[in-house]
Amino acid sequence: MAERGGERGGFGRGFGRGDRGDRGGRGDRGRGDRRGGRRGAKRDEEEKWVPVTKLGRLVKDGKIKSLEQIYLFSLPIKEHQIVEFFLGSALKDEVMKIMPVQKQTRAGQRTRFKAFVVVGDNNGHVGLGVKCSKEVATAIRGAIILAKLSVIPVRRGYWGNKIGKPHTVPCKVTGKCGSVTVRLVPAPRGSGIVAARVPKKVLQFAGIEDVFTSSRGSTKTLGNFVKATFECLLKTYGFLTPDLWRETRFSKSPFQEFTDFLAKPHKISVVEDVEKTPVY
Amino acid sequence: MKESDVQMMLAADVHLGTKNCDFQMERYVWKRRSDGIFIINVGKTYEKLELAARVIAAIENPQDIIVQSARPYGQRAVLKFAQYTGCQAIAGRHTPGTFTNQLQNTFSEPRLLILTDPRTDHQPIMEAALGNIPVIAFCDTDSPMKYVDIAIPANNKGKHSIGALFWLLARMVLQMRGTISAAKPWDVMVDLFFYREPDEGKDRDEEEAGAAEFAAVEYPAPALGMVGDAQWGPEAAEAGQWEADASAVATGAVPAGVPAVEWTGAAVPAGAGWDVGAAPAAAPPAGWETAAPAAPAGWEPAPQ
Repeated sequence: MAERGGERGGFGRGFGRGDRGDRGGRGDRGRGDRRGGRRGAKRDEEEKWVPVTKLGRLVKDGKIKSLEQIYLFSLPIKEHQIVEFFLGSALKDEVMKIMPVQKQTRAGQRTRFKAFVVVGDNNGHVGLGVKCSKEVATAIRGAIILAKLSVIPVRRGYWGNKIGKPHTVPCKVTGKCGSVTVRLVPAPRGSGIVAARVPKKVLQFAGIEDVFTSSRGSTKTLGNFVKATFECLLKTYGFLTPDLWRETRFSKSPFQEFTDFLAKPHKISVVEDVEKTPVY
Repeated sequence: MKESDVQMMLAADVHLGTKNCDFQMERYVWKRRSDGIFIINVGKTYEKLELAARVIAAIENPQDIIVQSARPYGQRAVLKFAQYTGCQAIAGRHTPGTFTNQLQNTFSEPRLLILTDPRTDHQPIMEAALGNIPVIAFCDTDSPMKYVDIAIPANNKGKHSIGALFWLLARMVLQMRGTISAAKPWDVMVDLFFYREPDEGKDRDEEEAGAAEFAAVEYPAPALGMVGDAQWGPEAAEAGQWEADASAVATGAVPAGVPAVEWTGAAVPAGAGWDVGAAPAAAPPAGWETAAPAAPAGWEPAPQ
Protein backbone atom coordinates (compact mmCIF):
# COMPACT_ATOMS: atom_id res chain seq x y z
CA MET A 1 0.00 0.00 0.00
CA ALA A 2 2.91 2.27 0.61
CA GLU A 3 3.92 1.88 -3.00
CA ARG A 4 0.47 2.65 -4.25
CA GLY A 5 0.50 5.87 -2.31
CA GLY A 6 3.60 6.97 -4.12
CA GLU A 7 2.12 6.50 -7.54
CA ARG A 8 -1.17 8.27 -7.11
CA GLY A 9 -1.80 11.42 -9.03
CA GLY A 10 -4.59 13.86 -8.41
CA PHE A 11 -3.69 15.93 -5.38
CA GLY A 12 -0.42 17.77 -5.36
CA ARG A 13 1.96 16.10 -3.00
CA GLY A 14 4.93 17.90 -1.62
CA PHE A 15 5.99 20.21 -4.40
CA GLY A 16 2.88 19.77 -6.46
CA ARG A 17 3.73 21.00 -9.91
CA GLY A 18 7.42 20.24 -9.57
CA ASP A 19 6.68 16.67 -8.68
CA ARG A 20 4.48 16.15 -11.69
CA GLY A 21 7.23 17.54 -13.84
CA ASP A 22 9.42 14.49 -13.60
CA ARG A 23 6.48 12.13 -13.88
CA GLY A 24 5.73 13.97 -17.06
CA GLY A 25 8.91 12.45 -18.43
CA ARG A 26 7.48 8.99 -18.09
CA GLY A 27 4.24 9.92 -19.68
CA ASP A 28 5.79 11.40 -22.76
CA ARG A 29 3.92 9.15 -25.11
CA GLY A 30 0.69 10.25 -23.58
CA ARG A 31 1.57 13.86 -23.94
CA GLY A 32 1.96 13.48 -27.65
CA ASP A 33 -1.37 11.72 -28.04
CA ARG A 34 -3.49 14.01 -25.97
CA ARG A 35 -2.16 17.35 -26.89
CA GLY A 36 -4.16 17.64 -30.03
CA GLY A 37 -7.51 16.98 -28.52
CA ARG A 38 -7.32 19.07 -25.36
CA ARG A 39 -8.27 22.62 -24.75
CA GLY A 40 -8.09 23.97 -21.22
CA ALA A 41 -5.87 21.75 -19.13
CA LYS A 42 -7.45 23.08 -15.96
CA ARG A 43 -10.91 21.92 -16.89
CA ASP A 44 -9.55 18.53 -17.66
CA GLU A 45 -8.03 18.20 -14.21
CA GLU A 46 -11.39 18.80 -12.57
CA GLU A 47 -13.11 16.20 -14.68
CA LYS A 48 -10.58 13.44 -14.25
CA TRP A 49 -10.69 12.37 -10.67
CA VAL A 50 -8.01 9.95 -9.55
CA PRO A 51 -9.10 8.49 -6.25
CA VAL A 52 -6.49 8.36 -3.53
CA THR A 53 -8.40 6.55 -0.86
CA LYS A 54 -9.92 3.08 -0.93
CA LEU A 55 -13.35 4.56 -0.57
CA GLY A 56 -12.70 6.85 -3.49
CA ARG A 57 -11.79 3.96 -5.70
CA LEU A 58 -14.91 2.06 -4.76
CA VAL A 59 -17.11 5.05 -5.40
CA LYS A 60 -15.53 5.88 -8.73
CA ASP A 61 -16.17 2.37 -9.96
CA GLY A 62 -19.72 2.45 -8.82
CA LYS A 63 -19.37 -0.26 -6.23
CA ILE A 64 -21.07 1.92 -3.65
CA LYS A 65 -24.70 2.67 -4.37
CA SER A 66 -25.34 5.63 -2.14
CA LEU A 67 -23.91 7.97 0.44
CA GLU A 68 -26.01 6.22 3.06
CA GLN A 69 -23.86 3.13 2.67
CA ILE A 70 -20.86 5.20 3.61
CA TYR A 71 -22.66 6.69 6.56
CA LEU A 72 -23.70 3.28 7.77
CA PHE A 73 -20.10 2.28 8.36
CA SER A 74 -18.91 5.69 9.54
CA LEU A 75 -16.24 5.71 6.91
CA PRO A 76 -14.28 8.94 6.83
CA ILE A 77 -14.81 10.78 3.56
CA LYS A 78 -11.57 12.35 2.48
CA GLU A 79 -12.28 13.21 -1.13
CA HIS A 80 -14.97 15.69 -1.98
CA GLN A 81 -15.54 14.07 -5.35
CA ILE A 82 -17.13 11.19 -3.51
CA VAL A 83 -19.92 13.42 -2.34
CA GLU A 84 -20.19 15.10 -5.73
CA PHE A 85 -20.57 11.70 -7.31
CA PHE A 86 -23.73 10.97 -5.36
CA LEU A 87 -25.25 14.38 -4.86
CA GLY A 88 -23.53 16.32 -7.62
CA SER A 89 -26.37 17.99 -9.43
CA ALA A 90 -28.62 18.49 -6.45
CA LEU A 91 -25.93 20.06 -4.34
CA LYS A 92 -26.29 23.81 -3.95
CA ASP A 93 -23.94 26.01 -2.07
CA GLU A 94 -24.29 29.34 -0.42
CA VAL A 95 -21.68 31.58 1.01
CA MET A 96 -22.93 32.67 4.39
CA LYS A 97 -20.25 35.17 5.16
CA ILE A 98 -16.84 36.37 4.19
CA MET A 99 -15.14 37.51 7.31
CA PRO A 100 -11.86 39.37 7.14
CA VAL A 101 -9.56 38.29 9.92
CA GLN A 102 -6.30 39.93 10.71
CA LYS A 103 -3.01 39.07 12.27
CA GLN A 104 -0.59 41.67 13.45
CA THR A 105 2.90 41.71 11.99
CA ARG A 106 5.63 44.30 12.41
CA ALA A 107 4.81 45.56 8.96
CA GLY A 108 1.15 46.17 9.68
CA GLN A 109 -1.74 43.77 9.59
CA ARG A 110 -1.90 40.58 7.57
CA THR A 111 -5.50 40.20 6.40
CA ARG A 112 -7.01 36.93 5.38
CA PHE A 113 -10.55 36.08 4.44
CA LYS A 114 -12.58 33.45 6.16
CA ALA A 115 -15.40 31.99 4.13
CA PHE A 116 -18.36 30.14 5.57
CA VAL A 117 -20.09 28.00 3.04
CA VAL A 118 -23.15 25.86 3.49
CA VAL A 119 -23.82 23.16 1.00
CA GLY A 120 -26.92 21.05 0.66
CA ASP A 121 -29.38 19.24 -1.48
CA ASN A 122 -32.63 20.44 0.15
CA ASN A 123 -33.37 16.80 0.84
CA GLY A 124 -31.61 15.46 3.87
CA HIS A 125 -27.95 16.31 3.31
CA VAL A 126 -26.09 19.36 4.56
CA GLY A 127 -22.50 20.30 4.81
CA LEU A 128 -20.66 23.17 6.38
CA GLY A 129 -17.24 24.35 5.35
CA VAL A 130 -15.01 27.03 6.77
CA LYS A 131 -11.84 28.08 5.06
CA CYS A 132 -9.45 30.93 5.53
CA SER A 133 -7.27 32.20 2.74
CA LYS A 134 -5.49 35.28 1.47
CA GLU A 135 -7.90 35.69 -1.39
CA VAL A 136 -11.64 35.59 -1.21
CA ALA A 137 -12.04 33.34 -4.20
CA THR A 138 -9.60 30.77 -2.90
CA ALA A 139 -11.28 30.81 0.46
CA ILE A 140 -14.69 30.23 -1.05
CA ARG A 141 -13.43 27.44 -3.24
CA GLY A 142 -11.69 25.77 -0.33
CA ALA A 143 -14.72 26.18 1.86
CA ILE A 144 -16.97 24.56 -0.71
CA ILE A 145 -14.69 21.56 -0.84
CA LEU A 146 -14.58 21.31 2.93
CA ALA A 147 -18.34 21.67 3.08
CA LYS A 148 -18.78 18.78 0.68
CA LEU A 149 -16.42 16.71 2.78
CA SER A 150 -18.52 17.34 5.83
CA VAL A 151 -21.90 16.42 4.40
CA ILE A 152 -24.14 14.88 6.99
CA PRO A 153 -27.44 13.03 6.76
CA VAL A 154 -30.32 14.80 8.46
CA ARG A 155 -33.11 12.83 10.01
CA ARG A 156 -36.58 14.19 9.49
CA GLY A 157 -39.71 13.13 11.24
CA TYR A 158 -43.30 14.07 11.87
CA TRP A 159 -44.90 16.43 14.28
CA GLY A 160 -48.11 14.47 14.59
CA ASN A 161 -49.83 12.15 12.17
CA LYS A 162 -47.55 10.23 9.90
CA ILE A 163 -49.13 11.33 6.67
CA GLY A 164 -47.05 12.21 3.69
CA LYS A 165 -43.33 12.69 3.83
CA PRO A 166 -41.41 13.63 6.98
CA HIS A 167 -41.25 17.36 7.19
CA THR A 168 -39.75 18.34 10.52
CA VAL A 169 -37.17 17.24 13.05
CA PRO A 170 -38.00 13.91 14.72
CA CYS A 171 -37.58 15.29 18.21
CA LYS A 172 -36.27 18.30 20.07
CA VAL A 173 -32.55 18.55 19.50
CA THR A 174 -30.02 21.10 20.52
CA GLY A 175 -26.54 21.93 19.39
CA LYS A 176 -23.90 24.09 20.94
CA CYS A 177 -20.85 25.83 19.65
CA GLY A 178 -19.03 28.40 21.68
CA SER A 179 -21.67 30.26 23.61
CA VAL A 180 -24.36 29.75 21.02
CA THR A 181 -26.93 27.04 21.59
CA VAL A 182 -29.56 26.33 19.01
CA ARG A 183 -32.62 24.32 19.79
CA LEU A 184 -34.81 22.77 17.12
CA VAL A 185 -38.36 21.86 18.02
CA PRO A 186 -40.72 19.85 15.82
CA ALA A 187 -43.46 21.97 14.25
CA PRO A 188 -46.76 21.13 12.54
CA ARG A 189 -46.96 21.19 8.79
CA GLY A 190 -47.24 24.59 7.30
CA SER A 191 -45.37 26.42 10.04
CA GLY A 192 -42.36 26.93 7.89
CA ILE A 193 -38.89 27.42 9.29
CA VAL A 194 -39.24 29.75 12.24
CA ALA A 195 -35.68 30.85 12.70
CA ALA A 196 -33.21 33.63 12.19
CA ARG A 197 -31.82 34.24 8.74
CA VAL A 198 -28.65 32.28 9.33
CA PRO A 199 -29.98 28.98 10.66
CA LYS A 200 -32.93 29.30 8.28
CA LYS A 201 -30.58 28.93 5.36
CA VAL A 202 -28.92 25.88 6.84
CA LEU A 203 -32.25 24.28 7.64
CA GLN A 204 -33.54 24.94 4.17
CA PHE A 205 -30.53 23.21 2.70
CA ALA A 206 -31.18 20.32 5.03
CA GLY A 207 -34.61 19.81 3.63
CA ILE A 208 -36.51 20.56 6.79
CA GLU A 209 -39.78 22.24 5.98
CA ASP A 210 -41.22 23.11 9.36
CA VAL A 211 -39.42 23.76 12.60
CA PHE A 212 -39.47 26.04 15.61
CA THR A 213 -36.17 27.27 16.89
CA SER A 214 -34.82 28.85 19.96
CA SER A 215 -31.34 30.16 20.34
CA ARG A 216 -29.20 31.49 23.08
CA GLY A 217 -25.83 33.03 23.39
CA SER A 218 -23.99 35.42 21.19
CA THR A 219 -25.71 34.58 17.92
CA LYS A 220 -24.00 37.56 16.38
CA THR A 221 -20.98 35.37 15.90
CA LEU A 222 -22.11 33.81 12.68
CA GLY A 223 -19.38 31.20 12.76
CA ASN A 224 -20.60 29.74 16.01
CA PHE A 225 -24.25 30.19 15.16
CA VAL A 226 -23.99 28.23 11.97
CA LYS A 227 -21.81 25.56 13.55
CA ALA A 228 -24.31 25.18 16.35
CA THR A 229 -27.20 24.53 13.96
CA PHE A 230 -25.03 22.14 12.03
CA GLU A 231 -24.16 20.25 15.17
CA CYS A 232 -27.83 20.19 16.03
CA LEU A 233 -28.70 18.55 12.74
CA LEU A 234 -25.88 16.07 13.30
CA LYS A 235 -27.64 14.90 16.43
CA THR A 236 -30.90 14.04 14.66
CA TYR A 237 -29.48 10.72 13.62
CA GLY A 238 -27.81 10.22 16.94
CA PHE A 239 -31.05 10.18 18.85
CA LEU A 240 -32.48 6.76 19.68
CA THR A 241 -36.22 6.72 19.09
CA PRO A 242 -38.43 3.66 19.65
CA ASP A 243 -38.65 2.87 15.98
CA LEU A 244 -34.91 2.26 16.03
CA TRP A 245 -35.13 -0.26 18.83
CA ARG A 246 -34.94 -3.23 16.50
CA GLU A 247 -31.57 -4.99 16.61
CA THR A 248 -29.27 -4.10 13.77
CA ARG A 249 -28.63 -6.71 11.13
CA PHE A 250 -24.96 -6.24 10.43
CA SER A 251 -23.74 -6.35 6.88
CA LYS A 252 -20.28 -6.47 5.42
CA SER A 253 -18.34 -3.28 5.28
CA PRO A 254 -17.63 -2.22 1.71
CA PHE A 255 -13.93 -2.68 2.36
CA GLN A 256 -14.54 -6.29 3.16
CA GLU A 257 -17.10 -6.86 0.45
CA PHE A 258 -14.92 -5.49 -2.28
CA THR A 259 -11.60 -6.59 -0.94
CA ASP A 260 -10.77 -8.41 -4.17
CA PHE A 261 -11.44 -5.34 -6.22
CA LEU A 262 -9.37 -3.20 -3.90
CA ALA A 263 -6.50 -5.65 -3.97
CA LYS A 264 -6.07 -5.13 -7.68
CA PRO A 265 -3.51 -2.44 -8.41
CA HIS A 266 -5.30 0.55 -9.78
CA LYS A 267 -4.29 2.41 -12.91
CA ILE A 268 -1.45 4.80 -12.46
CA SER A 269 -2.71 7.78 -14.35
CA VAL A 270 0.42 9.67 -15.17
CA VAL A 271 -1.07 11.16 -18.28
CA GLU A 272 -3.55 13.38 -16.48
CA ASP A 273 -0.80 15.03 -14.51
CA VAL A 274 1.10 15.88 -17.64
CA GLU A 275 -1.83 17.95 -18.83
CA LYS A 276 -1.14 20.45 -16.11
CA THR A 277 1.77 21.75 -18.09
CA PRO A 278 1.12 25.35 -19.12
CA VAL A 279 -1.80 26.10 -21.37
CA TYR A 280 -0.66 28.00 -24.41
CA MET B 1 -3.42 -25.88 24.10
CA LYS B 2 -0.35 -28.03 23.93
CA GLU B 3 1.87 -28.42 26.90
CA SER B 4 4.88 -27.69 24.74
CA ASP B 5 3.45 -24.32 23.81
CA VAL B 6 2.76 -23.45 27.40
CA GLN B 7 6.23 -24.47 28.41
CA MET B 8 7.68 -22.34 25.69
CA MET B 9 5.65 -19.35 26.82
CA LEU B 10 6.78 -19.79 30.39
CA ALA B 11 10.38 -20.20 29.34
CA ALA B 12 10.11 -16.98 27.37
CA ASP B 13 8.72 -15.17 30.43
CA VAL B 14 5.48 -14.38 28.66
CA HIS B 15 3.68 -14.68 31.95
CA LEU B 16 5.65 -12.03 33.78
CA GLY B 17 3.92 -8.70 34.00
CA THR B 18 5.06 -5.51 35.66
CA LYS B 19 4.75 -4.05 39.09
CA ASN B 20 1.69 -2.07 38.09
CA CYS B 21 -1.61 -3.39 36.94
CA ASP B 22 -4.13 -1.54 34.81
CA PHE B 23 -7.65 -2.17 36.07
CA GLN B 24 -8.76 -3.51 32.73
CA MET B 25 -5.96 -6.03 32.72
CA GLU B 26 -6.97 -7.40 36.11
CA ARG B 27 -9.05 -10.12 34.52
CA TYR B 28 -5.96 -11.62 32.91
CA VAL B 29 -3.79 -11.52 36.00
CA TRP B 30 -3.26 -14.72 37.91
CA LYS B 31 -1.57 -13.50 41.00
CA ARG B 32 0.82 -10.94 42.35
CA ARG B 33 4.22 -12.29 43.24
CA SER B 34 5.96 -11.52 46.51
CA ASP B 35 8.33 -9.12 44.81
CA GLY B 36 5.40 -7.14 43.39
CA ILE B 37 5.32 -8.47 39.86
CA PHE B 38 1.93 -9.47 38.50
CA ILE B 39 1.74 -12.89 36.90
CA ILE B 40 -0.40 -13.21 33.79
CA ASN B 41 -2.60 -16.23 33.28
CA VAL B 42 -0.93 -17.91 30.33
CA GLY B 43 -4.04 -19.88 29.54
CA LYS B 44 -5.89 -16.67 28.84
CA THR B 45 -2.97 -15.46 26.77
CA TYR B 46 -3.31 -18.51 24.58
CA GLU B 47 -7.04 -18.00 24.18
CA LYS B 48 -6.65 -14.40 23.16
CA LEU B 49 -3.91 -15.44 20.76
CA GLU B 50 -6.34 -17.83 19.16
CA LEU B 51 -9.00 -15.17 18.95
CA ALA B 52 -6.56 -12.78 17.34
CA ALA B 53 -5.40 -15.49 14.93
CA ARG B 54 -8.99 -16.10 13.87
CA VAL B 55 -9.48 -12.44 13.15
CA ILE B 56 -6.26 -12.30 11.17
CA ALA B 57 -7.10 -15.42 9.23
CA ALA B 58 -10.54 -14.00 8.44
CA ILE B 59 -9.12 -11.09 6.48
CA GLU B 60 -9.20 -12.21 2.88
CA ASN B 61 -6.28 -10.14 1.72
CA PRO B 62 -3.33 -10.36 4.13
CA GLN B 63 -1.77 -7.28 2.55
CA ASP B 64 -4.45 -5.26 4.31
CA ILE B 65 -2.97 -6.12 7.68
CA ILE B 66 -0.23 -4.04 9.18
CA VAL B 67 2.04 -5.30 11.96
CA GLN B 68 3.93 -2.63 13.76
CA SER B 69 6.63 -2.16 16.33
CA ALA B 70 8.43 0.99 17.27
CA ARG B 71 10.56 -0.73 19.84
CA PRO B 72 13.69 -2.54 18.68
CA TYR B 73 12.78 -5.71 20.59
CA GLY B 74 9.77 -6.26 18.43
CA GLN B 75 11.12 -5.21 15.07
CA ARG B 76 12.63 -8.48 14.00
CA ALA B 77 9.62 -10.42 15.17
CA VAL B 78 7.33 -8.13 13.27
CA LEU B 79 9.30 -8.46 10.08
CA LYS B 80 9.41 -12.23 10.30
CA PHE B 81 5.73 -12.37 11.10
CA ALA B 82 4.96 -10.33 8.04
CA GLN B 83 7.17 -12.53 5.95
CA TYR B 84 5.39 -15.72 6.93
CA THR B 85 1.83 -14.47 6.96
CA GLY B 86 1.97 -12.06 4.04
CA CYS B 87 1.16 -8.94 5.99
CA GLN B 88 2.84 -5.58 5.81
CA ALA B 89 5.33 -4.68 8.49
CA ILE B 90 6.31 -1.30 9.83
CA ALA B 91 9.39 -1.45 11.99
CA GLY B 92 10.67 1.67 13.66
CA ARG B 93 9.08 5.09 13.66
CA HIS B 94 5.47 5.41 12.66
CA THR B 95 5.22 8.53 10.55
CA PRO B 96 2.19 10.40 11.86
CA GLY B 97 -0.47 10.60 9.22
CA THR B 98 0.20 7.28 7.53
CA PHE B 99 -3.38 6.24 8.11
CA THR B 100 -5.03 9.62 7.93
CA ASN B 101 -3.20 11.82 5.46
CA GLN B 102 -4.26 10.78 2.01
CA LEU B 103 -1.70 13.04 0.39
CA GLN B 104 1.22 11.20 1.92
CA ASN B 105 3.42 8.85 -0.02
CA THR B 106 3.13 6.19 2.61
CA PHE B 107 -0.62 6.54 3.00
CA SER B 108 -2.24 3.21 3.60
CA GLU B 109 -5.65 2.10 4.74
CA PRO B 110 -5.23 -1.22 6.48
CA ARG B 111 -8.11 -3.34 7.67
CA LEU B 112 -6.35 -4.51 10.77
CA LEU B 113 -3.50 -3.34 12.93
CA ILE B 114 -1.29 -5.50 15.13
CA LEU B 115 0.94 -3.79 17.66
CA THR B 116 3.53 -4.88 20.16
CA ASP B 117 2.91 -2.22 22.78
CA PRO B 118 -0.05 0.15 23.08
CA ARG B 119 2.01 2.60 25.04
CA THR B 120 4.94 3.09 22.68
CA ASP B 121 2.77 2.54 19.61
CA HIS B 122 0.12 5.00 20.75
CA GLN B 123 0.35 7.07 17.58
CA PRO B 124 -0.84 4.30 15.26
CA ILE B 125 -3.60 3.51 17.73
CA MET B 126 -4.87 7.07 17.61
CA GLU B 127 -4.80 7.12 13.83
CA ALA B 128 -6.50 3.76 13.63
CA ALA B 129 -9.30 5.18 15.73
CA LEU B 130 -9.77 7.94 13.18
CA GLY B 131 -9.76 5.54 10.30
CA ASN B 132 -12.08 2.76 11.48
CA ILE B 133 -9.24 0.28 11.85
CA PRO B 134 -9.53 -2.43 14.50
CA VAL B 135 -6.47 -2.92 16.69
CA ILE B 136 -4.92 -6.04 18.13
CA ALA B 137 -2.16 -5.46 20.63
CA PHE B 138 0.04 -7.31 23.05
CA CYS B 139 -0.79 -5.68 26.36
CA ASP B 140 1.26 -5.91 29.48
CA THR B 141 -0.33 -5.58 32.90
CA ASP B 142 0.22 -1.85 32.86
CA SER B 143 -0.74 -1.12 29.28
CA PRO B 144 -3.50 1.35 28.46
CA MET B 145 -6.35 -0.43 26.73
CA LYS B 146 -7.87 2.61 25.10
CA TYR B 147 -8.86 1.89 21.51
CA VAL B 148 -7.37 -1.59 21.67
CA ASP B 149 -9.98 -4.02 20.36
CA ILE B 150 -8.31 -7.32 21.04
CA ALA B 151 -5.78 -7.25 23.85
CA ILE B 152 -3.47 -10.19 24.21
CA PRO B 153 -2.26 -10.21 27.80
CA ALA B 154 1.46 -10.89 27.73
CA ASN B 155 4.85 -9.62 28.59
CA ASN B 156 5.84 -7.13 25.92
CA LYS B 157 9.06 -6.08 27.55
CA GLY B 158 11.35 -9.07 27.02
CA LYS B 159 12.73 -9.95 23.61
CA HIS B 160 12.13 -13.67 24.06
CA SER B 161 8.59 -13.01 25.04
CA ILE B 162 7.79 -10.84 22.05
CA GLY B 163 9.51 -13.28 19.72
CA ALA B 164 7.69 -16.27 21.12
CA LEU B 165 4.34 -14.53 20.93
CA PHE B 166 4.70 -13.49 17.33
CA TRP B 167 5.95 -16.95 16.47
CA LEU B 168 2.92 -18.53 18.12
CA LEU B 169 0.57 -16.10 16.44
CA ALA B 170 2.10 -16.69 13.04
CA ARG B 171 1.90 -20.41 13.47
CA MET B 172 -1.73 -20.22 14.54
CA VAL B 173 -2.66 -18.05 11.61
CA LEU B 174 -0.97 -20.37 9.16
CA GLN B 175 -2.60 -23.38 10.74
CA MET B 176 -6.01 -21.77 10.53
CA ARG B 177 -5.47 -20.87 6.93
CA GLY B 178 -4.41 -24.43 6.26
CA THR B 179 -0.94 -23.58 5.02
CA ILE B 180 0.58 -25.65 7.79
CA SER B 181 -0.75 -28.85 9.24
CA ALA B 182 -1.56 -28.66 12.91
CA ALA B 183 -0.28 -32.14 13.53
CA LYS B 184 3.35 -31.46 12.78
CA PRO B 185 5.43 -28.88 14.62
CA TRP B 186 6.29 -25.84 12.57
CA ASP B 187 9.65 -26.09 10.93
CA VAL B 188 10.46 -22.43 11.55
CA MET B 189 12.43 -21.80 14.74
CA VAL B 190 11.25 -19.42 17.41
CA ASP B 191 14.75 -18.06 17.56
CA LEU B 192 14.16 -16.51 14.18
CA PHE B 193 11.73 -14.10 15.80
CA PHE B 194 14.01 -13.05 18.63
CA TYR B 195 15.69 -9.70 18.63
CA ARG B 196 19.42 -9.91 18.15
CA GLU B 197 21.81 -7.30 19.49
CA PRO B 198 23.81 -5.72 16.69
CA ASP B 199 27.14 -6.83 18.14
CA GLU B 200 25.95 -10.34 18.73
CA GLY B 201 26.44 -11.21 15.11
CA LYS B 202 30.19 -10.76 15.40
CA ASP B 203 30.56 -13.06 18.38
CA ARG B 204 28.55 -15.70 16.63
CA ASP B 205 30.85 -15.86 13.65
CA GLU B 206 33.81 -16.46 15.92
CA GLU B 207 32.08 -19.21 17.77
CA GLU B 208 30.71 -20.88 14.71
CA ALA B 209 34.27 -21.54 13.62
CA GLY B 210 35.16 -23.16 16.91
CA ALA B 211 31.85 -24.97 17.28
CA ALA B 212 32.30 -27.15 14.24
CA GLU B 213 34.46 -29.50 16.27
CA PHE B 214 32.14 -29.29 19.26
CA ALA B 215 29.12 -30.43 17.32
CA ALA B 216 30.82 -33.56 16.10
CA VAL B 217 31.93 -34.54 19.60
CA GLU B 218 28.87 -33.62 21.65
CA TYR B 219 26.19 -34.77 19.25
CA PRO B 220 25.60 -38.34 20.40
CA ALA B 221 25.48 -37.34 24.07
CA PRO B 222 22.52 -35.00 24.06
CA ALA B 223 23.19 -32.06 26.29
CA LEU B 224 19.81 -30.91 27.37
CA GLY B 225 18.92 -27.29 26.86
CA MET B 226 21.89 -26.77 24.58
CA VAL B 227 19.82 -25.75 21.64
CA GLY B 228 19.29 -22.09 20.99
CA ASP B 229 21.23 -18.87 21.28
CA ALA B 230 23.49 -17.40 23.88
CA GLN B 231 20.57 -15.55 25.37
CA TRP B 232 19.07 -18.82 26.35
CA GLY B 233 21.66 -19.17 29.13
CA PRO B 234 19.37 -18.93 32.14
CA GLU B 235 16.51 -20.45 30.20
CA ALA B 236 18.67 -23.38 29.31
CA ALA B 237 18.87 -24.18 32.98
CA GLU B 238 15.10 -24.15 33.13
CA ALA B 239 14.93 -26.24 30.02
CA GLY B 240 17.07 -28.81 31.75
CA GLN B 241 14.56 -28.79 34.54
CA TRP B 242 11.68 -29.20 32.16
CA GLU B 243 13.37 -32.19 30.69
CA ALA B 244 13.58 -33.73 34.14
CA ASP B 245 9.88 -33.15 34.67
CA ALA B 246 9.02 -34.23 31.19
CA SER B 247 10.70 -37.57 31.41
CA ALA B 248 8.76 -38.22 34.58
CA VAL B 249 5.61 -37.44 32.65
CA ALA B 250 4.12 -40.19 30.53
CA THR B 251 5.97 -40.52 27.32
CA GLY B 252 2.77 -40.94 25.43
CA ALA B 253 2.85 -37.29 24.51
CA VAL B 254 0.93 -36.43 21.39
CA PRO B 255 3.79 -34.98 19.42
CA ALA B 256 5.89 -38.04 20.14
CA GLY B 257 5.25 -39.67 16.84
CA VAL B 258 6.33 -36.97 14.49
CA PRO B 259 9.58 -35.73 16.01
CA ALA B 260 10.69 -39.32 16.37
CA VAL B 261 10.72 -39.55 12.62
CA GLU B 262 12.87 -36.49 12.32
CA TRP B 263 15.31 -37.85 14.87
CA THR B 264 16.25 -40.96 12.99
CA GLY B 265 19.63 -39.43 12.20
CA ALA B 266 20.61 -38.82 15.81
CA ALA B 267 21.11 -41.37 18.55
CA VAL B 268 18.90 -40.12 21.35
CA PRO B 269 18.39 -42.17 24.48
CA ALA B 270 15.36 -40.42 25.94
CA GLY B 271 13.47 -40.13 22.70
CA ALA B 272 10.02 -39.15 23.86
CA GLY B 273 11.43 -36.94 26.58
CA TRP B 274 13.07 -34.83 23.95
CA ASP B 275 9.79 -33.78 22.40
CA VAL B 276 8.64 -32.08 25.51
CA GLY B 277 12.06 -30.94 26.60
CA ALA B 278 12.95 -29.51 23.27
CA ALA B 279 9.91 -27.30 23.24
CA PRO B 280 10.92 -24.64 25.75
CA ALA B 281 14.09 -24.01 23.85
CA ALA B 282 11.86 -24.36 20.84
CA ALA B 283 14.54 -25.41 18.43
CA PRO B 284 12.95 -28.14 16.35
CA PRO B 285 14.96 -31.24 15.53
CA ALA B 286 15.55 -29.93 12.06
CA GLY B 287 17.81 -27.33 13.63
CA TRP B 288 20.15 -30.06 14.76
CA GLU B 289 20.52 -31.64 11.37
CA THR B 290 22.35 -28.61 10.16
CA ALA B 291 24.29 -28.82 13.40
CA ALA B 292 27.04 -26.20 13.41
CA PRO B 293 25.28 -22.83 13.22
CA ALA B 294 22.60 -23.48 15.78
CA ALA B 295 24.69 -25.27 18.34
CA PRO B 296 27.68 -23.03 19.13
CA ALA B 297 26.46 -20.09 21.12
CA GLY B 298 24.70 -22.21 23.65
CA TRP B 299 27.85 -23.85 24.89
CA GLU B 300 29.01 -21.45 27.59
CA PRO B 301 26.01 -21.59 29.91
CA ALA B 302 26.00 -25.38 29.82
CA PRO B 303 24.11 -26.51 32.89
CA GLN B 304 25.90 -29.79 32.94
